[in-house]
Amino acid sequence: MTATTAVSAPGTGAAATGAPPPVVRFEKVNKAYGSVRAVTDLDLTLYPGETVALLGPNGAGKSSSLDLLLGLRHPDSGRVEVFGTTPRQAIVRGRVGAMLQSGCLMEEVTVRELVGLACDLHPKGHPVDEVLERAGITEIASRKVNKLSGGQEQRVRFAFATAGASDLIVLDEPTTGMDVSSRQTFWGAIREQAKQGRTILFATHYLEEADAVADRVIVLHRGRVLADGSSAEIKAMAGARRISFELDGPVDETALRALPALTGIEISGRTVRIRSTDADATVHAVYGLGLYPHGLEVTGLGLEQAFLAITDAAAAVEESAR
Amino acid sequence: MRTLVKLEIARTLRNRKFMFFTVVYPSVLFLLIAGSADADDRVPGTRLSMPLYYMVAMASFGALTAGLMGNGERIAKEREGGWTRQLRLTPLPGRGYVGAKIAVGAVATLPSIVIVFVVAAVAKGVRLDAAWEWPALTAAIWAGSLVFAALGVAIGYLASGDAVRPLTMIIYFGLSILGGLWMPTTSYPRWLENIGDYLPTHAYTALGQAIELGGAPHAKDVALLVGYLAVFAGGAAWLYRKDTRKA
Repeated sequence: MTATTAVSAPGTGAAATGAPPPVVRFEKVNKAYGSVRAVTDLDLTLYPGETVALLGPNGAGKSSSLDLLLGLRHPDSGRVEVFGTTPRQAIVRGRVGAMLQSGCLMEEVTVRELVGLACDLHPKGHPVDEVLERAGITEIASRKVNKLSGGQEQRVRFAFATAGASDLIVLDEPTTGMDVSSRQTFWGAIREQAKQGRTILFATHYLEEADAVADRVIVLHRGRVLADGSSAEIKAMAGARRISFELDGPVDETALRALPALTGIEISGRTVRIRSTDADATVHAVYGLGLYPHGLEVTGLGLEQAFLAITDAAAAVEESAR
Repeated sequence: MRTLVKLEIARTLRNRKFMFFTVVYPSVLFLLIAGSADADDRVPGTRLSMPLYYMVAMASFGALTAGLMGNGERIAKEREGGWTRQLRLTPLPGRGYVGAKIAVGAVATLPSIVIVFVVAAVAKGVRLDAAWEWPALTAAIWAGSLVFAALGVAIGYLASGDAVRPLTMIIYFGLSILGGLWMPTTSYPRWLENIGDYLPTHAYTALGQAIELGGAPHAKDVALLVGYLAVFAGGAAWLYRKDTRKA
């Protein structure tokens, strides 16, 4: 089995209430390019107000999934619904704003002209100045679009995606090419959008971003959903806490190895390093053994390692199944 | 949608290189081709003088070039670059995109037509029988050029990358030569002339020639051009939608 079964409900618990109609629904969606399967039996439901990260390495099917969601590609089989209708209809009604990972913008026009176009095309368009301000590009509004840095271009794309009062905002690896400070500003703007009740879906392989921004993380691997839960849950799944301490007295290795929630242990001299899925239980048990650990440290593994652990495990399962 | 049309026109006018060649090229060609022709030389089978014939032919040819070349390559480039993908994530309908591109073609061609006329009148002493024929000719050639702007959009969606230039060239030369833009089709073998009669380029020049002779354009030519416009614009819009599917 894949890790999908380990975390059942989506992070926000919106599914549990069952009340709100889903924003996005994928039902058994398949998409292949020639012999390459990009998306396999994908089931996915997004609920209103969620901020969801679509996480996975290159080739995991993130961009393909977003293309299907936006109607830029059509599934070979299965169904994609956005706000209960087709992706195209949802876009025509102004319910979806989207920012693609790459692709040129219109050349030889200024930032203001381009963003103005997006505001004009959107049925519930915002005033241009407001959109420019929110995207932090007021200063570069009179610059030509083809003379921007990578990070600036991404912010223009973001403005393009948020030019109107859309209910769902889709972002494909939005911070590519941004420096650290513009990333922070950018995610601030995204949080602002989320606060207004919008549903946000973004693809990323910047794992710390998924961890920091999303309240639900969906891990894709080879076109399938590998895990779906809060980032805390995802980390927990992969034994994602590191506990380290030193012991004064003799080290009883057998007792330590029997600690609860343990996924890995490393003992060198009197220093003990443990990986645990439940740091609270493990630490409690350490004291329970009558030990007095010094310099006790509990650190998160970060989503990166968690994610590596999950995808490695899935690859191993697939290998053994052959 | 009006914003898109305005933007498309603004960026075309800002593209100085494109505008320069679009505007100047037909006049240069006119001088090269009609340079040696005498005002008394007649086009075989008609009472048109050679310089007058070439003036209309080159104005038409220039308008055709601007529409076909300008749109085809730019659209193929935009598709490849990903701009049209981004645009498809807005509620803009396919006809809006095609309409804006045709409008751009129209804006680029008008000055080129006027300049050919001015050059012909000044350098070769071309005169028309009545003053109304000048604005009528301008309007006819301008309106007719929309057909080729629409064809350009369709080509931009039909071909991509390296294929777009050769395809445009083949269509461009084929239509120009067979349609009698460069030399009167009356000098072709009978069967080729018959084919030429039904090409949009032929109907397009016939439009101008009818006015040159002091008459109204033939209904058949107008109908042919309207038909071609519908086919090309409809085809372009259809290809835009199909491209959405394929992406």
